[in-house]
Amino acid sequence: MSTASPIAPAASPAAPSPWQGFVAYLTPLRLALALGLAGLAAVMLGPIFIIPFPVLLGRTMFVGLWALLAFAAAGQWPRRLPRWWARWLFQVLVVALAVPVATLLVYLVAVGGDFASLIRSEGRVMGFLWIAGSGLLVGPLLAMGALYRQRDAEARNQALSFELERSELERRALDARLRLLQAQVEPHFLFNTLANVRALVEAGSPQAAPVLRSLIAYLRAAMPRLQDETACLADELGLVKAYLELMHLRMPDRLVYEIAVPSELLRLRFPPMALLTLVENAVRHGIDPSEEGGRIELGGLREDGQVRLWVSDTGVGLVQQMGSGTGLRNLRERLQVVYGEGAALDLQENQPHGLRAEIRFTP
Amino acid sequence: MTALIPPTAPTALIADDEPLLRDSLQRALAAAWPELRVLATARNGREAVELFEQHEPDIVFLDVHMPGMNGVEAARQIARRAQIVFVTAYEQYAVQAFEQGALDYLVKPVDELRLADTVQRLQERLRARAAGTPQPQLDLQAAIETLARKLMQPESGAGAATSAAGHLQWIRASVGSTLKLIPVDQIVFMRSDEKYTLVVWHEGEALIRTPIRELVEQLDPQRFVQVHRSVVVNLHAVSHVTRGPNETADLHLKGRPEILPVSRSYLHLFRQM
Repeated sequence: MSTASPIAPAASPAAPSPWQGFVAYLTPLRLALALGLAGLAAVMLGPIFIIPFPVLLGRTMFVGLWALLAFAAAGQWPRRLPRWWARWLFQVLVVALAVPVATLLVYLVAVGGDFASLIRSEGRVMGFLWIAGSGLLVGPLLAMGALYRQRDAEARNQALSFELERSELERRALDARLRLLQAQVEPHFLFNTLANVRALVEAGSPQAAPVLRSLIAYLRAAMPRLQDETACLADELGLVKAYLELMHLRMPDRLVYEIAVPSELLRLRFPPMALLTLVENAVRHGIDPSEEGGRIELGGLREDGQVRLWVSDTGVGLVQQMGSGTGLRNLRERLQVVYGEGAALDLQENQPHGLRAEIRFTP
Repeated sequence: MTALIPPTAPTALIADDEPLLRDSLQRALAAAWPELRVLATARNGREAVELFEQHEPDIVFLDVHMPGMNGVEAARQIARRAQIVFVTAYEQYAVQAFEQGALDYLVKPVDELRLADTVQRLQERLRARAAGTPQPQLDLQAAIETLARKLMQPESGAGAATSAAGHLQWIRASVGSTLKLIPVDQIVFMRSDEKYTLVVWHEGEALIRTPIRELVEQLDPQRFVQVHRSVVVNLHAVSHVTRGPNETADLHLKGRPEILPVSRSYLHLFRQM
């Protein structure tokens, strides 16, 4: 559709460096939790150790801290894991590996780096096994817990957003119905048209009766009412025709129009005022501001099960006066309420000037 | 025709874009004021000013709403050189301004009694001017300026307010050979792509030349926020935010697969209330 390349999901244009992420993960709360659990382990292991409690506490805390660092690092590095490697599994395994390594490191420091003497000291081997064992029990479990919490929060977020979206849709449907009730005839249009009718009557013109008929048809359709479920495209085109006839009467030298919608589409269910909104826009913002006026064409087409209806004008085109496009926004919402999210309203500029609005929907 | 007019007969110009209404006013004037000579009729403000310069009538009937140059702008240019009567179908703001500024006006469809009043007032003014009597000079120019200002006001409240705030409402983008108009509220997000900006909206995407910095300044800040050096998102299109493993976050969009990055400096936008 355009020259743009699609965005790869989750490919951040410039995600912060892993280092930033790593440091950011180590919040005071997480550090406190790791150290606290290490303290608890030391308290529980205390009775079976002969070394002084502060030393034991130091060792468990070191291991706890190390495991936390390993967990955080495994969340950042490597940047890409093979497809068959889940990040969570990797993190848990890294923690499981980090605990014995850290414990070994602690004991190596205690014996001055002499691995052989460490192996010979039965007490130290037992100590290593106890600390590494309890670390292995707690560390990976904790890691899994942390990951689970993260997932859970994501799932809850998602559920919440679905809920929000649904209530948003309901609100929009209601809004659309309310706005239809408020639909009203613009006083400026009404009085101007009446002035024209009066001019015709005074002049004894035979045009007076058909013009009045158009005005009545227009007014009847424009009266506030609830959404008419039975309205079809033929009804809407009748209304549009009545409106265009009235406008042509008012600006005979400036407005030319043509309605060419294939008859096979006429029985389609169609929300009232939808095409009229586009035609009114074309007259009000396209033809009327132009000294020489222009042409409005209404067309339709069914293609691959999809229906396209368009209103194209040769007026002044998009100018700032067109404002916020509230009318068009309302129309888009109404179409989506009636035909579902697939319905679309599209605006294009015509060459050399003018606007083309197109409605697309699957009936 | 001009040659037949006695030099003393009052003259007028009628400007209205709707031919039936021009004729109708002319007929009504012929009945209410038979001596009045309508020298010309104009279809818009520009023609009205041209024909005024050409014929210099005593009175100009100006429809307020005309294509191109409207009646108020035409009145600005004619101002004191003629008696001006505004004609309007229904323009709440205009009618208020007419009354405050003591301007002459007629409401369409023109009522005979009302027209008779106006005619009488105009006749008195013309007589006084001919006699050289000083007239209570109302500040016509100021009244017309007020009128012009009033007409500039948006007529309906909702929606127009946003455009009054000067925010961009449409983005022009060429897609293939057509020039599309994308309503900004349909935009999901925009991403700067070297010297272009990628605009993604509900029904497609397009590249435009305007840099993302310039766009951000013109958009409604309540709706569009920058979440990353190169990304601007429509808040209405965001479904949820997930905290990344670090001080960043990912924006998930309603019904779309893209995930947008939130960099650290913009994260405060998504802190919980």
